[in-house]
Amino acid sequence: MALLSLKNICFSYEKTLVLKDISYDFEKGKMYCIVGKSGAGKTTLLSLLSGLAKPTEGEIIYDGKNIDKIDKYTFRSKFIGVVFQSFNLITKYTALENVILSMDVSGVKIKDKKKKAFELLESVGLDEDEANRRVLKLSGGQQQRVAIARAISYNPDIILADEPTGNLDRETQIEIMEIFRELADQGKCVILVSHSHEVASMCDEKYELIKISGKKKKNSK
Amino acid sequence: MYIIKNALRCIGRSKGRNILIGIIVLVIAISACIGLSIRQAAESAKMSALEGMGVTATISYDRASAMGNISGGRPGKDSSGFQSGQFDPSQFEDIFKQSSSLTLEEYLKYAESETVEDFYYTITAYLNGSEYFLPVSNESEEDSSSSSNSSFPGGFPGGMGGMGLKISGDFSIIGYSNDSAMKEFVNDNASIVDGSMFEEGTSELICVISEELAMYNNVVVGDSIIVQNPSLNTEAYTLTISGIFTSNDNNDFSMSMFGVSQDPANRIYMSANALQTILDASFTNKEDTKIEGNISATYCFSDTSAYYSFEKEVRKLGLDDSYKVSSSDITAFENSLAPLTTLSKMAGWFLLVILIIGGVILVVLNIFNVRERKYEVGVLTAMGMKKWKVATQFVCEILVITMIAVVIGSSIGAVSSVPVTNVLLEGQVENQNNKQNQINQNFGRPGNMGSGFTGSMPPDLPSDISGSKNPFENMFGGAADYITEVNSAMNITVVLQMIGVGLLLTLIASAASVLFIMRYDPLKILANRD
Repeated sequence: MALLSLKNICFSYEKTLVLKDISYDFEKGKMYCIVGKSGAGKTTLLSLLSGLAKPTEGEIIYDGKNIDKIDKYTFRSKFIGVVFQSFNLITKYTALENVILSMDVSGVKIKDKKKKAFELLESVGLDEDEANRRVLKLSGGQQQRVAIARAISYNPDIILADEPTGNLDRETQIEIMEIFRELADQGKCVILVSHSHEVASMCDEKYELIKISGKKKKNSK
Repeated sequence: MYIIKNALRCIGRSKGRNILIGIIVLVIAISACIGLSIRQAAESAKMSALEGMGVTATISYDRASAMGNISGGRPGKDSSGFQSGQFDPSQFEDIFKQSSSLTLEEYLKYAESETVEDFYYTITAYLNGSEYFLPVSNESEEDSSSSSNSSFPGGFPGGMGGMGLKISGDFSIIGYSNDSAMKEFVNDNASIVDGSMFEEGTSELICVISEELAMYNNVVVGDSIIVQNPSLNTEAYTLTISGIFTSNDNNDFSMSMFGVSQDPANRIYMSANALQTILDASFTNKEDTKIEGNISATYCFSDTSAYYSFEKEVRKLGLDDSYKVSSSDITAFENSLAPLTTLSKMAGWFLLVILIIGGVILVVLNIFNVRERKYEVGVLTAMGMKKWKVATQFVCEILVITMIAVVIGSSIGAVSSVPVTNVLLEGQVENQNNKQNQINQNFGRPGNMGSGFTGSMPPDLPSDISGSKNPFENMFGGAADYITEVNSAMNITVVLQMIGVGLLLTLIASAASVLFIMRYDPLKILANRD
């Protein structure tokens, strides 16, 4: 059964139709990739999935419920973890503080938040020294790891990542993809948005978005 | 809880901006503290002094009000068709007729009020001397013996009693209801040098006379003197001298221009009951030539609230609106507060201006602040933090900065408020004195007679205020006493007011931030950044 479903989703932005009649299903324990060229509406779709935007038509179903019926702040803070393309970390905070903040915002009860945050950062490859550094003083790859740690800190069912390997070197790309794979293996539903077919090839399923005049295709791996 | 933690973290991470906001709030807080302290000092000086101060009051005819009613007191034609400045003589006479003092019975009725702590009255009558008992006078004996018959038809305002009282006679016979009415003796301005004072409340015709009068007429204690009805020489009364007194007022001849009876040396004191006996006898003899007695009653109260209650109560008991209840003690004290009150008003305006300017600066700074942190707001809301929580975090940040600045500002203000208040007060007192002096110069007088205040400082000033006399002492007895110094200005009220100022500034400063935060759309913020 699909954990997250898009049903006949349409989205217009200032009279410009960006997405038309999109229907995708996402299941637990799988890694999905939404690919498409620039302007195909990948980031828009991610915004819809994360509850930051509302579809013009159609509905998004999470765990059998229309997400319109769920408080959008609760949805974002508890059920879904988003890794933004530009990471969107609080720059004046340390890596550790960013992770702890997301735990606080979610309201999920965690015994020792600091310890858990250290463990999460360690699991994505950051040591204690890096964890205590302000995010501005970390490299792009390290910031990406902090963003992932933050997204999974409150144990959401769905992990969304926008261009997670965009500006990273190949070695780091592989490491990051391994993290996502591990999360999918742990039973999370991982949805990546990327223009890279290489990233798509590492996922279980791929949805390709094409510009509105064309056709949307679904290819299984 | 995490909102407060984040707020504190953010304060620490943006020191420059927060120090700037802190400095602005600090300046506002110091100014506000001084302003509020000045206001508080004025208020507490007034309240504490008035609370501890015994108040005396009198009931008198409200002449000013009655005069104002004659022609409406305004230019143009009144209802009776008179042009401005033209008085209808009949109306004017009516006022004089009505303007008698209350009867003793009426005074006594009002004295039964529970608010009255003590009550006393004096009756003043003017009688002539006789062949063997003459008044002290600068005039020749021949002139003097012919009996003075000066008239002051306008009467004396206020304490001199009713309007139109004729002062014709050689002696002022003053009858006192009890010892406490004899202020001269109570206040140590007069004392018996020979014999003794008459018994309180006695109806016997016993009196005390001044030392000068005794020497002038060569009479001693135990002698009898004869006084006569000025309108009827055949009506004479024999008084027995029980004592001779000396008074500090004896050198004051300023009132003798109105007749020898106004010379303090020509005052004869006796019991009010005794004088009333004379007045009753005079009335019985012949109504047309009866001796007029003027009653002046004084009500004593333990504090000002009792005085104000009394005023309401007597109105209920039927005191006409044409009579007013007034207290020279309260008027005197209010006048003594004039510089401090002026300063207090100025401090109020200063405080308002500072709050407005400071508030505008804070609003602008916080708009810049929230716009600068727009991205942070976008990230927090995208993470799922509700907008009101983000707004609360921003408000907490401003609140903490404001309160720290208010605490420091209040401490600096508390230390500096007393000297600053006193320096400003000194300037105000000097202004008042210069103004008074200028008026006196315009009148060609050396002192400060006339306009406004001619009272004296209340005797029981609280320990936190000081008064000093105007250096221009006035030969007529009036000297402007102003509060010139406050020793403490800050108290719990000011502290609470400062907390209020802090909260108000927080509210003003954060209102703009909250509005901006509530309007922000995280998607737009993050999309624009990408």
